[in-house]
Amino acid sequence: MKKSSVIGIVVIALAIAMIIVMYTDSSTYSTFTEAKEKQSELYVVGVLNKDKELLYNPVVDANHFSFYMYDNDSTECRVVFRGAKPQDIERSEQIVLTGKMVGDEFHASKILMKCPSKYNQDEIEVIEANTAQRTGFVDVQPINQ
Amino acid sequence: MDIAYVGESLLPGQIGQFFVILSFGAALLSSISYYFGTTAEEDRSWLVIARASFWLNVVAVVGIGSCLFYIIYNHLFEYHYAWAHSSRSLPTHYIISSFWEGQEGSFWLWMFWQALLGMVLVFKAKSWERPVMAVVMLCQAVLGSMLIGVEVFGERVGSSPFILLREAMRAPIFSDPNYLGMIADGSGLNATLQNYWMVIHPPTLFLGFAAMIVPFAYAAAGLWQRRYNEWIRASIPWALFAVMVLGAGIIMGSFWAYEALNFGGFWAWDPVENASIIPWLTLIAGVHVMIAYKNSGHSYFAATLLAMVSFVLVIYASFLTRSGVLGETSVHSFTDLGLYWQLVVFIFIFLALMVYLLIARKKEMPSSKKEEDIYSREFWLFIGALVLVVACVQIIASTSIPVFNAVFGTKIAPPLDPVQHYNKWQAGFAVVIALLSAFTQFMKYKRTNSRKFYSAALASFVAALVVTGLVVYVTKVYVNFMYILLVFAATYTIVANGRILGEAIRGKWKLTGSAVSHIGFGLLLIGGLVAAATNEVISVNSSNYIAVAGFDQVEKPGDNLFLTEGEPVQMGDYRVTYVGDSIAPPNVYYKINYEKIDDETGRVTEHFQLRPFAQNNPQMGGLVGTPATKHYLTHDVYTLITAAMSTPHLQGQESEQTGFEAYDEPAVYETNIGDTLRYRNGYIVVEGINRNATVQNIPRKDDDIIVGLKLRIHAATGESYEAEPVFLIRGGTTFDLFKDVDEQGLRFRFSNIMPQKDKLELMVYQKPLPEKRWVVFKAIKFPYINFFWCGAIVMTIGFFMAIFSRSRTKPATQE
Repeated sequence: MKKSSVIGIVVIALAIAMIIVMYTDSSTYSTFTEAKEKQSELYVVGVLNKDKELLYNPVVDANHFSFYMYDNDSTECRVVFRGAKPQDIERSEQIVLTGKMVGDEFHASKILMKCPSKYNQDEIEVIEANTAQRTGFVDVQPINQ
Repeated sequence: MDIAYVGESLLPGQIGQFFVILSFGAALLSSISYYFGTTAEEDRSWLVIARASFWLNVVAVVGIGSCLFYIIYNHLFEYHYAWAHSSRSLPTHYIISSFWEGQEGSFWLWMFWQALLGMVLVFKAKSWERPVMAVVMLCQAVLGSMLIGVEVFGERVGSSPFILLREAMRAPIFSDPNYLGMIADGSGLNATLQNYWMVIHPPTLFLGFAAMIVPFAYAAAGLWQRRYNEWIRASIPWALFAVMVLGAGIIMGSFWAYEALNFGGFWAWDPVENASIIPWLTLIAGVHVMIAYKNSGHSYFAATLLAMVSFVLVIYASFLTRSGVLGETSVHSFTDLGLYWQLVVFIFIFLALMVYLLIARKKEMPSSKKEEDIYSREFWLFIGALVLVVACVQIIASTSIPVFNAVFGTKIAPPLDPVQHYNKWQAGFAVVIALLSAFTQFMKYKRTNSRKFYSAALASFVAALVVTGLVVYVTKVYVNFMYILLVFAATYTIVANGRILGEAIRGKWKLTGSAVSHIGFGLLLIGGLVAAATNEVISVNSSNYIAVAGFDQVEKPGDNLFLTEGEPVQMGDYRVTYVGDSIAPPNVYYKINYEKIDDETGRVTEHFQLRPFAQNNPQMGGLVGTPATKHYLTHDVYTLITAAMSTPHLQGQESEQTGFEAYDEPAVYETNIGDTLRYRNGYIVVEGINRNATVQNIPRKDDDIIVGLKLRIHAATGESYEAEPVFLIRGGTTFDLFKDVDEQGLRFRFSNIMPQKDKLELMVYQKPLPEKRWVVFKAIKFPYINFFWCGAIVMTIGFFMAIFSRSRTKPATQE
């Protein structure tokens, strides 16, 4: 057998071993409930709870952003992100979080959002004909006393 | 019911659609004619048809581009493509980028380059023209089918760029014949794509992709025509060209990401980036074994396989980025245009062609009976190619996790931290590759004198060790053994190839290209490693700890710094001040001053202003930040706005508030004429009383008492204003009418007259101080990143030199 064939076989074996090892690096998409059990870094997929407040007050702390998210089992959880608020999170259709559970809060290290793509956007901006006249300025306003 | 729409300009679309069909038909005819022209060589009529239809295809491709450009340039929003990718406010040079923002435009770009390359082949390929062009035009036909956009047996084939907006979408306004008058503007171009690099990065990248067909076609033609040896020689310059252009395109993309995207880096191992680097690496490997075969007769199968598989991987890359299969694993939002299966078919056509030819001709392939010598260049070139392929397998496997999920229905998530995951593997491969590209330079083909080899290799080894020590010390990467190893391997490459370059200049000109591109590769490795390993976020609040930057750069605690306008903050070596912003719609530029202050003298030793900007585009998802970077020779300071105060003065929210809630609690004064009252920004003089005051829309009755109080307001800035609030008694009831001085945020009420005290009651309302403007920003220092860019440029120059020397040394005996 030629040297190159031997090396080839060795390399192919190495590559296969490598792929097996590599897939141990891969993760799973899970839920908040699982995250609570496992206490390790993982992915959680879900949607933003748009009814609750998204808390970001840079004046107090520019690196604290929190919001509520429903995971795929519709469990709601408070998510804390140490960083600036991602700008288009309100529009997101789906959120993929990377992070882990700390107490009852999910501490996200990364937030990935799926926003409605502009390609399949089904809205067309339309100029609206406005019949109502603008009210003119009135420089005095009587106030009862 | 058919509606007669008003104002649509349908002609350019119809012409364009005609060209689309023509380009597909002509390419197919050309491919078939070239095929029969090859098998029945004596019959020249096939060649005549093939060439004619090739030129027809060229005309059609140019026609498609012209029509599409006409539509976008003239803002014909009745076409979906123009509406979806451009807008009226877009500057002309970005109209070019919007041209290829969509998938259809980028397919067109690919076709256009392929047509140009086809022209070169028609003129220059001589005896190779027929078989090679048969393959190239087959690819052109498949690409053409991507733009057809017609239904065949209920399946939509292709996606036409000439589809009308009303055909693409369902909306009630399309029942109005005059719907065009209601469409204000297109959706515009994604803010991140409005960058100079986006004008030239996609064409370069696609030229690289398109050029990959040529080595594939030569390999296929060589196997098909049993011209086993000739094709390699003929296609080496083409392979080098493809590698050079694709490499330049990838680096441009990386530079664009660094300059214009908010990644905070130059390489993120995003699936889209990986998809473009995979075929590049395989063809790099291919070029090396092709050269090895040419010089030694070894590794024929590897050379053929790599030349062919690289193009199949180009199609696979298109599939990954265009089919929507990547889903949530990529930040790039690619949507499925319905081309999923068509792209799969595209892959399988060329994969099948490759597998068939390789199997059918396996027995006849030239193979060397003699075993390679360990001390031979061809042996190590082969090993190097193998390592590159294994490195590729790693990238393909990790990137293809979503594909794996789609095929097997599994739900495996990609690694949590992709950057770390890929770096961990690729750093190891890079070390091996760099070491190989160093010592293999001292090997000769067939057989090397081992004594000579060791003396040359060791001398460079020692020199590299010394240089490494220096580099590691200066760049401070000694924290990690792997970093040191990688720096050493890269330095060894530079030193060894530098030596070869020295010899080459003295005579062996042919090797200069190789030496230069390997030096570039070494520089690129060092620059990339140092910048990735030692970049640090400098916008850290003093209270927060600074994380030791590893290979990865995810959001760490306290990466963002809050700045209030006009208040300097000390940040590392710099004192930063947010000094305001300037608005150039649709962008807001935030001016941030950086000052370096000498501790002892307190003098400013260095001063510069960075103006990162953000585009507030609700359609694209709010604020989209674009970094600004200060470039030094040894490092870069990168600044990105991550949050900013919304700017109500732009949106006119303030005019909504006319009530008293917008003001602070009033100050009540009992005054007399001539009194002076203080307010926050100046003083007010009570000048007098106007007993004949009139009120505009309240007619004076006889028993009315209407008195105005004349006030003069002197602002600290020097301006003065007048105001006359009015007090009114009608039928025993008192009213008062307030007056505003908007410029000073003041409101006055003449609220009472107190005759018994001889006083006039004046109420002064002041608006609270406007909230100070602020920004939240992030600054990263990238040390020695210039090595990375510089290495990339040197590498490209090296490829160029190699193409030049290798196409010149082609023996004249070739037909």
